[in-house]
Amino acid sequence: MVSPLGLEKYTGPWTDAHSAHLLRRTVFGGRFQDIKKFTSQGMDVSISILTNLEPVTDLPINYDFESDPKVPIGTSWVNKGHDPVNNTNNYRFRSLNGWTMGRLMAREMNIREKMTLFWHNHFVVADVNEARYYFKYIDTFRQNPLGNFKEFAKKMTVDPAMLRYLNGNQNTKNAPNENYARELLELFTIGKGPIAGPGDYTNYTEDDVLAIAKVLTGWTDIGFRSPNIDVVTSTFRPNQHDTGTKKLSHRFNNATITNAGAEEYKVLIDTIFQQPEVSKFIARKIYRWFVYYQIDESIEATIIEPLAQIIRDNNYEIKPSIIALLSSEHFYADFGCMIKNPLDFIASATSQNGITVGGDMVQQYTTWNFFFQYGALLQMRYFGLPSVAGWKAYYQEPLFYQTWINSVTLPLRKAYTDALSMVNNNTRGIRLDIDVVALLSSYSNPGDIETLINDIALVLLPKPLSEDQVATLKELMIPGLPDYEWTVEYEAYLANPSDLMLKRSVENKLRLLYAYMMKMPEYQLS
Amino acid sequence: MTLPVLLKGMEVTAIAKSSLATLINPEDDRVLVLVQLNGGNDGLNTFIPLDQYDALVKARGSIVLPSSDVLKISDTQGFHKSLTGFETLYKNGQMAVVQSVGYPNQNRSHFRSTDIWTTASDSEQYISTGWLGRYFDLNYPGYPDGYPNENNPDPFAITLGFVVSETCQGQSTNYSFTVNSEEDIKTLNETVPGSTDGSCHSGELSYLRDVVRQTNAYSARVLEAFENGNNLVTYTEGNSLAQQLKIVANLISGGLKTKIYVVSQGGYDTHANQVVGGDPINGEHADLLNVLGTAIREFQDDLIALGIEKRVVGMTFSEFGRRIKANDSFGTDHGTAAPLFVFGSCVNAGVFGQNPQISDPIDPEEGVAMQYDFRSVYASLLMDWFNTSQEDIEKVLFRDFQRIPFLKDCAVSTDTQDIAAFKIVLAPNPASNYVHLQFESSGGWTDIDVYDVRGYTVKAISSQKLAKGPIKMSVDLDNLPEGMYFMRVAQGAAIATAKFVKM
Repeated sequence: MVSPLGLEKYTGPWTDAHSAHLLRRTVFGGRFQDIKKFTSQGMDVSISILTNLEPVTDLPINYDFESDPKVPIGTSWVNKGHDPVNNTNNYRFRSLNGWTMGRLMAREMNIREKMTLFWHNHFVVADVNEARYYFKYIDTFRQNPLGNFKEFAKKMTVDPAMLRYLNGNQNTKNAPNENYARELLELFTIGKGPIAGPGDYTNYTEDDVLAIAKVLTGWTDIGFRSPNIDVVTSTFRPNQHDTGTKKLSHRFNNATITNAGAEEYKVLIDTIFQQPEVSKFIARKIYRWFVYYQIDESIEATIIEPLAQIIRDNNYEIKPSIIALLSSEHFYADFGCMIKNPLDFIASATSQNGITVGGDMVQQYTTWNFFFQYGALLQMRYFGLPSVAGWKAYYQEPLFYQTWINSVTLPLRKAYTDALSMVNNNTRGIRLDIDVVALLSSYSNPGDIETLINDIALVLLPKPLSEDQVATLKELMIPGLPDYEWTVEYEAYLANPSDLMLKRSVENKLRLLYAYMMKMPEYQLS
Repeated sequence: MTLPVLLKGMEVTAIAKSSLATLINPEDDRVLVLVQLNGGNDGLNTFIPLDQYDALVKARGSIVLPSSDVLKISDTQGFHKSLTGFETLYKNGQMAVVQSVGYPNQNRSHFRSTDIWTTASDSEQYISTGWLGRYFDLNYPGYPDGYPNENNPDPFAITLGFVVSETCQGQSTNYSFTVNSEEDIKTLNETVPGSTDGSCHSGELSYLRDVVRQTNAYSARVLEAFENGNNLVTYTEGNSLAQQLKIVANLISGGLKTKIYVVSQGGYDTHANQVVGGDPINGEHADLLNVLGTAIREFQDDLIALGIEKRVVGMTFSEFGRRIKANDSFGTDHGTAAPLFVFGSCVNAGVFGQNPQISDPIDPEEGVAMQYDFRSVYASLLMDWFNTSQEDIEKVLFRDFQRIPFLKDCAVSTDTQDIAAFKIVLAPNPASNYVHLQFESSGGWTDIDVYDVRGYTVKAISSQKLAKGPIKMSVDLDNLPEGMYFMRVAQGAAIATAKFVKM
């Protein structure tokens, strides 16, 4: 059952539970103190902080490869040609992957990384084996992920990575390749409606696919694996462009697009974006990314339509629609309805429990790469989407988010949180376990066992614990003992923090608690 | 007779090992292995119609396999050079080729078309359950509540990999259990449940709890079967499909009563570099087919060595075939129908259907016209392999479909109609206002339709019972635009298509 509340502004009480919910859905892991801060700031200020994004200046760097003459260790490779002798692409991918995971785990209190990942899942690029291409592609979104959808569509249409991935670089007047044209309509902009007749998908027709392929003829990418070209880019080759007049179907009001050379693709995108269906298509994807997968007639009427209206009113600027959604009655009507995707699961488990990846540059990158690979194991590899439609969790009926969870992946998730709950070292000597004792002082009243358990639950779980659950967790920590025994143990430790025996007895109880709470099915939910 | 005497003549270890296997009823516990080829396999480069070779060269000269490299099984057809595994199976009587399988009004989107294949819906129909999910729903109502139980201790379906298969999606949950490797089978702690309140949170939570409960219940059984089971042939290292099938053979031989296994191989979306430029014998598609043929052959050999070959049939499927004309990137774009392969010792080996007809010149949009509806394959498997009643088949597939007799011996029913001789004649061709259709009817339900080159039904001419004897009818073409079309006649298990031009 999904809430009937709509997009009108939330006016109810603003509590810790609301702050925690907002943080859970917009950043990769907020700590107890972050939740408290959001509560005291109130909803509007919190959302304005989350959506106020400055450009990003840091870059992935060469952290360990000594044979790239153009890129000394410690400097960035993103605008440097490859070395023709050594395979400089491999280390650059390691750097890109690690750096990307590092950003997810950096605990920036804004929506940037969740929105960047949203666009990656929307304008999918995969199977392009060139690190610079991926960096350029994803940077378009990361710099301003609350920017303009129409502008993104224009940039992606001639993006070097996209030109390669969907064969736009092979689309020429003599041999049009319709791959990108089809996905542009079906998956990137307007979406496929019900079949209305032969080759007619309500929102567009097969003939539109052919016409659009012709509009886009002539573009190609430049710099793939090149040693000479430092900055990857794309270019327009007039002699490969179909200069004829292209006619779109009645689905686009029989629009005609006359030859405009290198500017023609912009005319095309403007034409497509005149259809209001484009705003609804992206509104549904935003809803499934931030709220829930089920979109019935009522959600369509109370959320999708008004959200799409906001998007159109702002000429496809996305930020106002995100602010409206995050401020809505509907957004706060239900907590914990989303199964965390693997990257959210991995990054939030560290961030919300205060784990920071320390060490020198090599140690950091190596550790981030470990987390990156674990995401891939849980079936979510950044830059490795399974298909041009994105991850199944966001489109495949009827399972949607449930596709992430089965008898293989759930035990792997448990192994991960178990590892974080226990004392561990990674291969480079970096500790990655939750410092459970150090965290105690951040909670509101760590000497009181029930308050402590509920504080930790506020961070880890989307809804308050039931009485039975609290009782079970207490039993785990102080089996058969009255509550004050925890207070006694804790105060004894506080009085002698250097006494390892006292510290360890508190620590062991806390590790049991964290391990248990993170393997509760509730923990999988956001 | 005392017990020790009884045991004397038997190998004691064998008894100990077969504790699960003895519970298997070889008649009932039949297994279907689905091999999903993701991306849309290029059927014309898989099972090659040599009688169309000149037209193929014109349409796809940059990628067509030299005719001397086709592994011929008859004068007019053969497998791609990389499919030596399939050639062997075919010659051993363990493979049936079903030509040009698809559906009316072909959808060329990967995702939509995969949905159509896994749900067994019509092209325009949206359904959220899988065809095998509906089959299980009929037989095991209430699942997953009360499962596993004494009568059904094992998962009904197993998907190899990290995600469940949509074919097994039932009304309330998915019937398939996922297994990646033996080491990955783990049990999970159950935690104390909180309160539920009918919200979306409770809905997702109960799904998670079901996964925990079933993982624990089924993991033990699957592990036990692993330990009881065995492989007797060596599967190629680095062949990911072979490694999946190795686990399947191991589990079946270990006595698991699972009915459906789903394995998959990706990479068939060969828009570019399907072949190496200038060297059409090699390339991505040849590599894919080599993996496919090798894996299935090793699996079949293993089943025979293990003595369980009569319990298992398998079939390949892919969301669509590819365009007849090659593109400019040594590849092919999304198309229409493609051959499908059924393998196993109970298979009625042979080729069902006729070679596709390749016209000259070719429409750039043209795919291979459908001969068999994919649901005919499903209906045949349900009836002849799982002994499903007519009534239930209609519930699973929403109506009845033509049967194809690609199973023998072990099959519950076989159709003895002579299907190879079925032919239709069209005249005049090219035609203008009408075309005459002639064929020899064997009697029975007959569907006659006209399709365009994209696979859309443009005219449904007849769907009725016809008497035995010669049939002659005139088909009105007045409202069809000029162009190329296919006439398709399906009667009983027989099928014929013929191409004509409307001028």
